[in-house]
Amino acid sequence: MKKLTIHPLSRIEGHASVTINLDDKGEVADAHFHATELRGFEKFLEGAAVEEAPRITPRICGICPTVHHLASAKAVDEIFGAQVPETALKLRRLLDMGQFIHSHALHLFLLALPDYILGPDYNPALRNVVGLVQANPELAKMAIEGRKIGQRITEETGGKPIHPVSAVPGGMSFALANEKRAELEAMAKRSVEIARISWPVVMKMMDKYADLVNSVGLVQSDFVGLTRNGKLEFYDGNVRAIDSGGVQLADFPGKDYLSYIEETAEPYSYMKFTKLKKGNGFYRVGPLARVNIVDSIGTPEADKMLAEFRAKYGRVPQQSLLYHAARTIEYMAASETALSLLQDSAITDKNVRTAVTGVKNTRGIGVVEATRGTLIHDYTVNDKGFITKANLIVATGHNNRAIDRAVLQSSQKLIHGDNVSEGTLNRIEMVVRAYDPCVSCATHAIGRMPVQLTVVDSEGNVIREVTKC
Amino acid sequence: MLKLATEPLASCAGCHVSILDLHEDILQLLGKAELVYSPILMDVKEPPDGIDIAIIGGAIRNKENMERVKKLRQKAKTVIAYGTCACFGGVSGLSIIHSRDEILSSVYTDSVSTTSKTIPKDDIPELLYRGYAVGDVIKVDYYITGCPPKETFLRKILLPLVEGHVPELPKKSVCAECDRNMELVKNWKLKRRYEGIPEEGKCLLGQGYLCMGSVTFGRCGALCTHHGIPCHGCSGPSLDVLREPCRDLYNILVMRIQHLTELPQAEIEKELYDVPHTIYPFVMGSKIMENKSVSKIPDIIKERHL
Ligand code: SF4
Ligand code: SF4
Ligand code: SF4
Repeated sequence: MKKLTIHPLSRIEGHASVTINLDDKGEVADAHFHATELRGFEKFLEGAAVEEAPRITPRICGICPTVHHLASAKAVDEIFGAQVPETALKLRRLLDMGQFIHSHALHLFLLALPDYILGPDYNPALRNVVGLVQANPELAKMAIEGRKIGQRITEETGGKPIHPVSAVPGGMSFALANEKRAELEAMAKRSVEIARISWPVVMKMMDKYADLVNSVGLVQSDFVGLTRNGKLEFYDGNVRAIDSGGVQLADFPGKDYLSYIEETAEPYSYMKFTKLKKGNGFYRVGPLARVNIVDSIGTPEADKMLAEFRAKYGRVPQQSLLYHAARTIEYMAASETALSLLQDSAITDKNVRTAVTGVKNTRGIGVVEATRGTLIHDYTVNDKGFITKANLIVATGHNNRAIDRAVLQSSQKLIHGDNVSEGTLNRIEMVVRAYDPCVSCATHAIGRMPVQLTVVDSEGNVIREVTKC
Repeated sequence: MLKLATEPLASCAGCHVSILDLHEDILQLLGKAELVYSPILMDVKEPPDGIDIAIIGGAIRNKENMERVKKLRQKAKTVIAYGTCACFGGVSGLSIIHSRDEILSSVYTDSVSTTSKTIPKDDIPELLYRGYAVGDVIKVDYYITGCPPKETFLRKILLPLVEGHVPELPKKSVCAECDRNMELVKNWKLKRRYEGIPEEGKCLLGQGYLCMGSVTFGRCGALCTHHGIPCHGCSGPSLDVLREPCRDLYNILVMRIQHLTELPQAEIEKELYDVPHTIYPFVMGSKIMENKSVSKIPDIIKERHL
């Protein structure tokens, strides 16, 4: 048996590798996605005063710090029995939209699109943001502008663009000033426009690479995400699970997650694998899952996009690469939601925080939708509010099995014999990238994630390690 | 053209995102420097020879991080430890308060949602027993602190560096950038950071909140205190703490509280709680900080391992 390795996986967040085992005939026998890092947050949160958690846990991920901040703040609110004022809830939602706008723009344009705009076989030294700037400076500028809008919203509502600090037990630490509101409103309008321009670009890419979209990264799974009244929801609501045919499997409050979800570890990855106790257990989260579980998005332009998407790909599409199209729909939804929050006169109200007195509950569970999927922070504290146990389940953990199996399916489809081109391996990376995996998050537990691709023979000897470049 | 490499070690990647937060100026930067290696942004898998500036973010947490950092030192003329993780271990450094086995079992066998008993070990780099700051392992030319470094500060240093100038680095603490008034207080009592609602305009430390501003490197613009939140020390120790062997975050903070409140040291120390997560959360992985004669880090490690 021969073994191919892709290491490290690039243009993803964190460290991971892929290994592919070939049999004697050169056909793919097995393949795996490995998260190669671990940092240990769940353990080192033990002993911490629980109010410190919303400031420590954003450091799990610098691309999605806001969602860790918010999930953590929700768990801590529950521990202190905090009543969060209406305006503070609106500000938290706005902060969250800043996160979605920045992260989706970053992933879509700067990390993923170079494969499609420049082509999967393009010179790997330039198949990235630098190449994008050369090939399509207008698009690159728009991408930078899109991200900037997200980061500006985050900074003005979160106090810092990376690792925001403003969600405190009982609300928010500061109100939004009226001049800032006006400035951000103009930016959110522009964000809606950028989303509008991006949609046909992304859909055209999906068409141009239809062969790839419909042949690699195919897995059949259930889908999980938050919804409220059947609409797309990022901050609150129930967890809904549907099967691959769209039939609802479960609908439960996030705090009951232990009755529905379990995790297991495999020897080859620092990232754990989650499983639904119902259905066949194998499910996905994130943009594609969210647009699949909802009845509607709930904002006008994004709903139009969803209708077009469903008309073209069906009610519950399964293709991994369609994550990019779903991400674009959400980018619009987040922009429209930010705009309507900024046009709500209550957003600048000064009543944003209710004082809390002490520990009311010894357990707090905060569930939000992170950019990449459902995120769970679960803390148990003693009566003084010091953490005795912390459990975190992040988006990429839910998607781990799907990424692993999608890597196997793509390798089987693309690799026959050990003479594998760099472009072929990049197609496998494109499948991984579609999930926008955040290995830093998923291996919050101790470290970071490199990806590698190795080919081994039937005796386990490495016959070829394909290092790209 | 100047050849630039960036490496995210054990990190949250926020340091890399902070470079992207230069926004339009990224294009200017890319016009002056050629990015030759940057796994988050491009597909080059190994650092090439002849790198002019290597920007290293993140701490060293496993064997692979250790190899990468040594390789980059060999290949790069100038190495920048970028961000608090690279400079002082950052949050990953907190892992030192537990043993490696405790961390592995808490994540893989004792978690409430985990049903398997497998501890991963195949095809993945071995975890070190602790995290290390980059400068504790290789020679570093510049330390740029911040978690992550703020982009306005980055504009002042990264662009000049790329143009071949030695940048002017601000040396003040967070207090110097904070607009709150520090004055003598009577009947001071330490509060947990969640208690009450801080008054505007007045020093948070004086109000009883453990604000780390006076012992923390500035350059962030006192963002947190400006937004009603005590400084958590995310930019790492201030220059006076770094320079003097007998100054440490803990003893200098206690001294500042003494000045502010005229309370005896012992009384203040009695009130401090959760010292690792409130005073040292960003520097536990730093030998520079651990080796200070007055550091509490060795005690914390010993206590937690008992
Ligand atoms: S210093 Fe802060 S922002 Fe930078 S990698 Fe470490 S945790 Fe992330
Ligand atoms: S201790 Fe904190 S609140 Fe007081 S002046 Fe310094 S930074 Fe500002
Ligand atoms: S005020 Fe303190 S905690 Fe906040 S960003 Fe600055 S150094 Fe970090």
